[in-house]
Amino acid sequence: MNKLDKQFEGMMKEVRLDSPSPDFMIKVMSRIQAEAAVQHRPVQAYQPVISRKAWIIIGLAFLALLIYITVSGSDTATESTPGIWSTLLGSVEKINSTGMTSVWQKGMNIFGTIPPVALLILTASMALWTLDTYLTRLRHHSSKV
Amino acid sequence: MMTKVDDLYYIEAVRKGDVQAFSFLVEKYQKLVYTLALKLLKKPEDAEEMAQDTFIKAYQKLDSYEGKSKFSTWLYSITYNACISELRKRRIEFKSLDDRQISDQDEQKMHDYYRETKKEDQEKYLNLALEKLPEDDQVLVTLYYYESQSMDEISMITGLTVSNIKVKIHRARKQMYSLLHEKLKEEVYSLL
Repeated sequence: MNKLDKQFEGMMKEVRLDSPSPDFMIKVMSRIQAEAAVQHRPVQAYQPVISRKAWIIIGLAFLALLIYITVSGSDTATESTPGIWSTLLGSVEKINSTGMTSVWQKGMNIFGTIPPVALLILTASMALWTLDTYLTRLRHHSSKV
Repeated sequence: MMTKVDDLYYIEAVRKGDVQAFSFLVEKYQKLVYTLALKLLKKPEDAEEMAQDTFIKAYQKLDSYEGKSKFSTWLYSITYNACISELRKRRIEFKSLDDRQISDQDEQKMHDYYRETKKEDQEKYLNLALEKLPEDDQVLVTLYYYESQSMDEISMITGLTVSNIKVKIHRARKQMYSLLHEKLKEEVYSLL
């Protein structure tokens, strides 16, 4: 820089810069916060409600239960069905008398021998699976938008 | 150097997820980003919007800033390019001024004369003269003399060659003195 440049620089340094509106910073930072919410949203690895391992255990337990009931025979099964299950079996017999096949009756008998706790677990598992599927679909849909 | 270190510290903080650290950079550069936008776009509301967009763009592209140049240089280049593309969209061209040939001796005389005027009037006349310059020259003069950006840095910001910038800045300085002289003369006549 020569002398004339330096003199001119001295003059220019005395000039005050233009200022944006007083709420400029707030406006910019609120836009950036919104941007950050989209841009830097932490990517969470998708975790199913029931893990694959849990599904295998549930499946094996259910299978073991079915095998046990089938092997142990219908006599013991009828003995082990108190309360609403005997009512259910009674209604199955009624249905059978109206023309249901014996296969259906056998199936219902087996179903009737399942302990209520096991049925409750099965129902809850199915409900969770349904919810899990729904939430997965919802997540995929929203990520496309 | 300290500025660059300071900037890098906050840039790293933003990259690590501290969004609020970006406010330091906004606070530090908002006036110059706005001033550059205003010199090019003229309207304060357009300049304000452009300045906001510049910071948003800078935030979005922060990962692409490698730190090879000053953060300010990188930021001003975003501002300049956004303003230029906006002006192109609007088909607005920079105004031009007659090339005024002033000797270095006359320039020195004008400078001395300027310094003799009242302190409070100096900035007013200087701003009036600056506004008369073509818009791109106003940016060059501000970046070089006010912001002390080097010719190479200005070349990175504007995309102009260093030799072109050198010529334009030299010419702009002479024009500024000439315009200042006119303004001061007008003032003297109005007093008489």
